[in-house]
Amino acid sequence: MHRVVISGLGLLTPIGSGKEAFWNALVAGTSGIAPVSAFDTSSFPVHLGAEVKEFQPDRYLHRSAPNEPGRASQLAIAAARVAIEDSGIRLEDVQRDRVGVSMGTTSGEPLFVEQYNDIRKAAGLEAIPGEIMPKYPCNVIPSNVAIEFELRGPCLMIPTACAAGNYAIGYGFDLIRTGRADLMLAGGADAFSRITYMGFARLGAIAPERCQPFDKNRKGMVPGEGAAMLILEPLETALARGAHIYAEVLGYGLSCDSHHMTAAHPEGDGAIRAMATALEESGLTINDVDYISAHGTGTPTNDRVESIAVRRLFGTRADKVPISSIKSMIGHTMGAASAIEAVACALALDTGMIPPTINYEEPDPECDLDYVANQARRTNPRVVLNNAYAFGGNNASLCVARWEG
Amino acid sequence: MTDRIVATGIGVISSIGAGAEDFANALYAGRCGVTLSTLPSLQKDSPVPAAEVQNFSPEPWLGNKGIRVLDRSARLLCVAAQMALTAAGLSQQIPSGGNSKLGLICGTMFGSVHSITSFDWSGLTDGPKYVNPMDFPNTVINSPAGQAAIRFKLRGVNSTISSGLSSGLYAVHYASEFLRLGRASALLAGGVEELCQESFLGFRKSGITSPQGKARPFSPDRDGMVLGEGSALWVLETEAVAKARGATPAVEVCGFGAAHDAHSISSYQVRAEGATSAIEQALRASQIGPESVGLIVASASGSRAGDKMEARALHNVFGSRVADIPVCAPKAAFGEALGASGALLAVTAGIALCKRLAPPTAGFTSAEDGLRLSIVPQPIEAEYALVNCFGCDGNNAALILRRWNG
Repeated sequence: MHRVVISGLGLLTPIGSGKEAFWNALVAGTSGIAPVSAFDTSSFPVHLGAEVKEFQPDRYLHRSAPNEPGRASQLAIAAARVAIEDSGIRLEDVQRDRVGVSMGTTSGEPLFVEQYNDIRKAAGLEAIPGEIMPKYPCNVIPSNVAIEFELRGPCLMIPTACAAGNYAIGYGFDLIRTGRADLMLAGGADAFSRITYMGFARLGAIAPERCQPFDKNRKGMVPGEGAAMLILEPLETALARGAHIYAEVLGYGLSCDSHHMTAAHPEGDGAIRAMATALEESGLTINDVDYISAHGTGTPTNDRVESIAVRRLFGTRADKVPISSIKSMIGHTMGAASAIEAVACALALDTGMIPPTINYEEPDPECDLDYVANQARRTNPRVVLNNAYAFGGNNASLCVARWEG
Repeated sequence: MTDRIVATGIGVISSIGAGAEDFANALYAGRCGVTLSTLPSLQKDSPVPAAEVQNFSPEPWLGNKGIRVLDRSARLLCVAAQMALTAAGLSQQIPSGGNSKLGLICGTMFGSVHSITSFDWSGLTDGPKYVNPMDFPNTVINSPAGQAAIRFKLRGVNSTISSGLSSGLYAVHYASEFLRLGRASALLAGGVEELCQESFLGFRKSGITSPQGKARPFSPDRDGMVLGEGSALWVLETEAVAKARGATPAVEVCGFGAAHDAHSISSYQVRAEGATSAIEQALRASQIGPESVGLIVASASGSRAGDKMEARALHNVFGSRVADIPVCAPKAAFGEALGASGALLAVTAGIALCKRLAPPTAGFTSAEDGLRLSIVPQPIEAEYALVNCFGCDGNNAALILRRWNG
């Protein structure tokens, strides 16, 4: 089995694109949440969203026609290009059939469904162009990435909703670890969609003013969009080419609540098993964990259950493990969320800083952990867990560690 | 990582039959599942030919409880899961609290596109305040897998896999890898896809479907695919786990290969480099040569370019010996079931290996390119079968199966 390291980071988020802009905004506690610009929200009771601003696909899409793929594919390609550049890998020098793409998403390319319905409403079914729906299925996103960079290895989408990024990074880790690929682009992408927005709005899950995970007065999540791609490769090749190693992926754990489609198991059963499995696969125990990147959406239930799960698994050790939710700043970027959070984990390990949970004012007795309130903190973490939970009861925790040479 | 992975139960529902026995009988009888569709969403103008699960009702398998909240994909998947768990002797062994070592890996392509589109349509026509919140959970692509997990108390690994037409095959491989890594004791693995207006319309208008509604894989007069639907799942376990609980393996899942053509999202790569590579990787991973393959279950759907590419890949790998190996193209019978196709093809190959008999290709006229298309059932001379899944998004996958001989 190879050891697997993260040697390149690329991302587009509501608070900035590229690792530097993103990280600077994150440790400064910047919010990327603003009134929605993608569509008119006047018929909704809420109006906030977390969109990627001023995105110019033609800056990143060279081989593909910039406006041909859907927005999720555009964001994914852009994140992949940034990650490849960041890694310093020259694709001309690698064997392309040994390079793969593993991605996660919640909604695939939902804007094509919206387009389908808009045309259907305006002009009837027969007016819908044939090319719209074939561009919708979520497998086109990693395929578009493969096409843009001429990558001929395994190419997979794991659409496990809001935990998908962790699933995809985990699978990329598996492929490198077992020698099935030499290099993997792994991450997630989702485009801002009225469908997602409408669903969460109807569930009453969207925060009206701001996102304040774990705060006593938290009122919900804020839907967002974004993409993140991580370069994964065997430790040996990263060392051989003198790459900057951000972190090492140690293992991951998946579980299913098998309880409810949208609500988490009240005792955090699946979340506990995902974290425990991630640690077990990594050969670690709760005593090794220095930081947890929370799923922390900001909904009353999610944050309570996640806190219960951490408390139940970690016991008194939980008091010594800071846990924060960057969704307080970037919103919930759906299938991209845990990939963006994995980038944040890699940068936390690389820089020694852990990002804050902003808008945290009043402690909730039901959420009794250290949420890194409002200020980034230097803790020099060595081992971190990245939590992600999804509709369908899908849970995924990824364990990442500092690379110490 | 050397554990052998075996299938110990089949669940299958398709246009040609529900249940392994019905499905096998239809395959060997050369029955074609294409009919004029009865689905309301496909009948806007005039009925269209499709390989539909006609008069589909999940109640005989699932009872009446909790059906209403499931969309068509979730119903098809749950029916296949019920069959597979029963066939494997696992359904009685799931405790009331669920089984954390039992999971599900589901391949799909369009996922819940009909649920998603309907939800959006409701918001667009009635207003966002009036959409039914009960419909929202069905709009995520992993909802069929999540619904099945709830129904069957599958608390272990639960993944949804999408690699286009190879989704179902990739799911089988992904599950096999997870079992080898010890992440579950048993996994349901396969795929699901439902027929619906949204996917159908795009394919028809893009000229990919057969205007006559006849799928003629590899035939010189083929004029496109016919869309199908269904679900197929295997219960997969390691040999050791299966033996320990006294289960009888039917077939072994061997090596897998995947390669992307990195060429186009909507057209086949004529040189068949990715397809050839996928097959070669699968053979290598199985530590066998082409001579050990006694059956080829083809991806061919009647697509002009797709079938041509596959024929070329088979020539590339097998050379002149390709004329000696029976090739079965069962999409002639159950249509192009997209994300479910890979699983339906794999189950077909598994059944054929058990019977040591290649099923015929329904509606066969003639085959080009020197392939020995199976016309009438014929003996399989070797113990391995190759299953192909090649999609026009550039994703190519191949899987090797082996007849179980203890």
